[in-house]
Amino acid sequence: MSHTQIAEVPPTRKRTGGDTVRTVVRGVGQLLMTLGIVVLLFVVYEVYVTDLFGQQKQAEATTEVDQVWASSDVSATRTVVVDNPDQLVTDPRQRTPTYQPLTGEGFAKLYIPAFGADYVFTIVEGTDPDDLYIGPGHYSNTQLPGQEGNFAVAGHRVSKGSPFNDLGLLASCDAVVVETQDDWFVYRVLPMAEEVANWASTPRAHCDSVGVQTGSYDSVFGREITVPSDYAQVLPVPHTASADVPAGAQRLITLTTCHPQFSDAERMIIHGVLAKSYSKSAGFLPPELGES
Amino acid sequence: MYVWIWRHLPGPTAVRIAESLVLFLLVVALLFFVVFPWLEPYLPFDRAGV
Repeated sequence: MSHTQIAEVPPTRKRTGGDTVRTVVRGVGQLLMTLGIVVLLFVVYEVYVTDLFGQQKQAEATTEVDQVWASSDVSATRTVVVDNPDQLVTDPRQRTPTYQPLTGEGFAKLYIPAFGADYVFTIVEGTDPDDLYIGPGHYSNTQLPGQEGNFAVAGHRVSKGSPFNDLGLLASCDAVVVETQDDWFVYRVLPMAEEVANWASTPRAHCDSVGVQTGSYDSVFGREITVPSDYAQVLPVPHTASADVPAGAQRLITLTTCHPQFSDAERMIIHGVLAKSYSKSAGFLPPELGES
Repeated sequence: MYVWIWRHLPGPTAVRIAESLVLFLLVVALLFFVVFPWLEPYLPFDRAGV
């Protein structure tokens, strides 16, 4: 092998100018190859390895929130036999959150039946990188699930468990279900910009409580692509630069993720509106979870 | 660099190959657990918030 031959060069031989050039060229070549491999390893890390780490953190957060819910008095005492889901339908105006989200800890679960029955993520409080590594994160300054205003959640598209990779596949009226300590909140994706014109004339499934937005909401659509600085997307009335929840505000959900895939030059935003809510009961799952 | 490392690894060829593999895995672990997590926030790939 060439390496051993080099080692056996008689020590008496003098180094020539050619040797130095050869050493330098070889060193540069090896350095470039090494850098190439490091870049490839970074891709592997970003796309696969952080997914593994993220899934681990997500599993821990889920275990914790399950324990909290199991020990909460409310869900333990309300064990009723449910023949008809309508028995559990609630008026969101009369539901007040009995929990206090803590930064970095799970307080709700997100189900998107269109992505499969196994699509469930525990939502943590906060949108710092550490929070989003665990799972989708709630913008702390925005409202809680079911409240008037905007329940806004950020999530990674690629890496860290990739919770929001498929948001581009959501269609109008698809269910986005949020489970909290005491409640189920069923949101539905708003009409897309291109569907607004013929919304009323086209029959659509599951769209009873979803309509074309009017008034201060008339520029809010099911999916929007925007710039990373567009914080107004998560304000109580999206696009309206005010953090106050106006009287009679809608109950919205907003999901944000990076766009396009593998980049974060832009943001993809999904807006949905609360369509139905149920109180939790042992053994009861909202029928909306069965939609596909 | 690699020639220098190879020359300084002890043992016969088979052992050196095993040692090289261990060295490589050590470097990968260092990258995955220390360097990349530190580097990542500075790169424009996965910021999801607005």
